[in-house]
Amino acid sequence: MDSSLVMIGLANVLSVNNIACILGGTLLGLFVGAMPGLSATMALALLLPLTFSFDPATGLSMLASLYVGASYGGSIAAILLRTPGTPSAAATVLDGFPLSQQGRAGEALGISLFASFFGGLMSGIALLTAAPLLGTLVLEFGPVELFAIAVLGITIIGSLAQGSVISGLLSGGLGLLLSTVGMDLTTGTPRMTFGQINLFAGIDFTVALIGLFSVPQALTLIENSHRGGKVASRITDRLMPRWRTVKQLMPNILRSSGIGIIVGLIPGTGGDTASWFAYNEAKRFAKDKSRFGKGEIAGVAAPEAANNAVVGGALIPTIALGIPGSSSTAILLGALMVQGILPGPNLLTDYGDVTYTLIWAVILANIALLVVGLAFTKMSVSVTRIPDGFIACAILTLCIIGAFAINNSLFDVGLMLGFGLFGYWMSKAGVSPAPMVIGLILGPVMETSFQQSMLIGNDSFGVFLESPIATVLLILALLSILQATPFFRWLRVPFKRRLKPD
Amino acid sequence: MHAKALRHWLTITAVAISLSPLAQAADYVGGDEVTVLQGFKPGGGSDALAQLVQPRLSEILGVDFVNEYMPGATGAVAWTRLAKQSPNDGGTISITNTPMLMTNYIMNDAITYNTDEMTPIANVVTDPGIVVVSADSPYQTIEDLFAAAEQSPGTVTIGNSGVGGDDFFTTILLEQAKGLSFKKVPFQGDGPSATAAMGGKIDASFNNVGNVYGQVESGNLRALAVFAEKRLTSLPDVPTMKEKGVDVVAGSSRGYSAPAGIPDEARQQLIEAFQTLAKDPDFQAQAEKRAMNLDVVTGDDYRAMIDQMESDYREIWDSVKDQVGR
Repeated sequence: MDSSLVMIGLANVLSVNNIACILGGTLLGLFVGAMPGLSATMALALLLPLTFSFDPATGLSMLASLYVGASYGGSIAAILLRTPGTPSAAATVLDGFPLSQQGRAGEALGISLFASFFGGLMSGIALLTAAPLLGTLVLEFGPVELFAIAVLGITIIGSLAQGSVISGLLSGGLGLLLSTVGMDLTTGTPRMTFGQINLFAGIDFTVALIGLFSVPQALTLIENSHRGGKVASRITDRLMPRWRTVKQLMPNILRSSGIGIIVGLIPGTGGDTASWFAYNEAKRFAKDKSRFGKGEIAGVAAPEAANNAVVGGALIPTIALGIPGSSSTAILLGALMVQGILPGPNLLTDYGDVTYTLIWAVILANIALLVVGLAFTKMSVSVTRIPDGFIACAILTLCIIGAFAINNSLFDVGLMLGFGLFGYWMSKAGVSPAPMVIGLILGPVMETSFQQSMLIGNDSFGVFLESPIATVLLILALLSILQATPFFRWLRVPFKRRLKPD
Repeated sequence: MHAKALRHWLTITAVAISLSPLAQAADYVGGDEVTVLQGFKPGGGSDALAQLVQPRLSEILGVDFVNEYMPGATGAVAWTRLAKQSPNDGGTISITNTPMLMTNYIMNDAITYNTDEMTPIANVVTDPGIVVVSADSPYQTIEDLFAAAEQSPGTVTIGNSGVGGDDFFTTILLEQAKGLSFKKVPFQGDGPSATAAMGGKIDASFNNVGNVYGQVESGNLRALAVFAEKRLTSLPDVPTMKEKGVDVVAGSSRGYSAPAGIPDEARQQLIEAFQTLAKDPDFQAQAEKRAMNLDVVTGDDYRAMIDQMESDYREIWDSVKDQVGR
C-alpha cells in the first residue's frame, strides 16, 4: 500500500464540495432504500450519467454514499411497516416489526442504524487495509465453492422453520421450486414459462419479496383498521441506543460484519444472502433462541450490520482485481471506466488516487449515514402516527410502483399481486414467507453452480470433495441440518455419560 | 397537413444540405423525442454504449433520447416490443445486440419476433472474441489448447457467457473447424466466465476483448488468440485464429435498429447521423478510452450483416441443437 496515495485519496474526499455530495448521496440512498422496489443498483445506474460531468472524486463520493445509504434505508420500512425496502432488509423484518409492534420501534431503528454504521465502517477499514490480500481470495471461489455456499445457505431454512418444521419446509420447498422457472442455464430451454417470455429470465425475487411481505401487511392493516384504538402506535422509546445495549450486541455486530464482508467478497452473493447468514448465526450463538422472531434486538442488529458490511466487501474484489462483487459495484466499476480507468488489478497502483478516493468516500459515507440517518429516521418514525387505513393504501401503491420499476414491466405487477395474495394466505395459515424468500434467492445460485460443477468435474460428484473450501462448507451444512434434527440429542447421551467419569 | 408537408420539404432540403458536415441541425422527422428500448438492466454494456452515443447523436439530430429499460429473456422482451408493439414513425428505436438478437428466436420458438420486423440502422461497436487462460495455466499457446483437446476430447473446459451468446457459438465454430470437442461451461455473462478462468476453475474462457483487456494487460489472464480479421492494435502480440489456420471471425456487436416500415427520411437521417458520429474524433477517442472497438456499419450493410449472421447461426444451431445439454 502506497501511503502517499492513501493520503491523496483522503485529501480528495475532504473538500466542502465532496462532503456536501456525500451527505446528499447518503440522503438519496436512504430514500431509495426505504422505498420497496427501488434498489441501490437502480439508483446508481440512474445517477451515473449525472456524475459524468463531475470530477472523479465528487462523482465517486456521491455514488459510494448512495450505495451506503440505501443499504441502511431498507430497514426503516422493514421495521416500521413490515415491508422490506430492499431485498437485503428482508431478514430485518422478522424481529424488527415485532419490536415496532411492542412500541420499541425507536430502539430497533437506532440499533439498526448503529449496526449498519459499525458494519459499514468495518468493511471500509477492511477495504482500506486488506483489499489486495482479501481480493485474491475471490479467485478461490468457483462454481464448486459457490454451490457449497448455496447449500449451506439453504440449511438456514431448517432453523427458520421454528414452530412448525413442516410449514417451514413447505415454504422453503415452494421457493426452490419457483426458482426453477425460467431458462435453463446449460441448455437454454425455457422451463415452466408457459410460452410467456416475461418469465424467461425467471421470477425476479424482488417482485416476489414485495408481494410476500408487503401486500399481506397492507391487507392486515385494512382488516384491523376499523377497530381503532391501536391506530397510533406511538414511539415511546428513544432512537439513540443505550451504551449497554450496544456493548452487549458488539460481538454479534462484529461477527455479522465479518460475515457481510466475506459474503460481499464472493461474486454471485450479496446483501440479500449475507443478512440471512448473519441472522442465522446470531440465532445460533444466542442463549435464548426462542425470542427470535418475536422481537429480539439481536435479530435486527445482525442482518443490518451484515448488509452494510457487504458494501465494502463487494468493493474489495472490485478494486483489487477489477471483478465486481455485486451488481451495484459493477455500476461503480462503470463509473471508474467513464473516468478513463479500465477495470483491472492496477486500480490500487496506477489509478491509486481515484481508487483511494472511492475507499475514503465509503468510510466517510458511513459517518455521514450516522448523522443523516438519525434525522431521516426520526422523520420516518412519524409514519406510525398515520392511521392504518392510509398506511395500507400507501403500501399498496408503493408495491405497485416498486414492482413495475424493477423491469418496467406490468407483468411483474401482476406477478407481485399474485405473490401478495399467496402471502396473505400464508400469513393466515401461519406459514412464514422467510424460507420461501431464501429458496428464491439461493435456488438459482445452487442450481447454476451445480450444473457448472458437474460440467467441470466431468459428471463426477467427487468434484465437491476435491475442493477443500467446498468440503468444509458442505460438512458445516450437514452439521447444520443435523442440528435441526434430534440426531445430536441421541449422540449427546452416550457422550455425556462417557465424559462424566473423567 | 399543409404545414407538415412544408416541414417534410424543409427537412428533405435540410438533409440535402447536411451532406456538408457543418449544417447538421436538421429537424428529425421522427419527432422531438426518441425512445430507446434497452433490453438489459441499466449500467450494463448496452447502457454504456447508449451513454457514449446518445448525447452526441442528440446534438446531431436535435432530439432528446429517452432510455426505457425492459430487461428480460436476454433482450427478447424489449426486441419483441420493438418489432410488434412500437410505433414505426421513427420515434422508437432499440439497441440491438448481435448475435443475441437472432439466436434468441432461432433457439426458442416462444420468441416470436424476427429481424424482418426491424429496420437495421447502424452497428456501432464490435467486441472481437478472444481466448484467455489463467496466468499460471499450462497452456502457453493456442496450439497447446488444441493439443490438449485432441488428446482427451470433451474434457477441456471452456467457459462462455451463456448458451446462445456469441462465445457459445464461437466455441462451436472452432470445434467444427478443427474437428475438436470441448466441454462447454456456460456462465451468467462474460465477467463470471473470465473470473473462473482467472482462478483456474476452467481451462479457458472464450470471452470478448473489451471485458478482459485490463486483466490481460496486467497479467492476470493470458490471451491465446483473437477471433478477428487482423491482429488488434491493442494486443499486437496475440495471434488471430486465421493465422492459426482457423477461419473463424466472431464477436459481439451492438448497434441500433428501428421497427420495420419507418419513414424513409427518418431512416436516412438516423443513418447519416451515425455516419457523422463515426467521423467525430472526440467520439473515437472516448470509445477507445472505454475499450470499445468501433465498427460502424450503417443501413443496408447492417441489414446484410444481420441477414448473414442469421443464416450462419441458424445453420450452426441446427447442427448442434440435439447435443446441447447432452
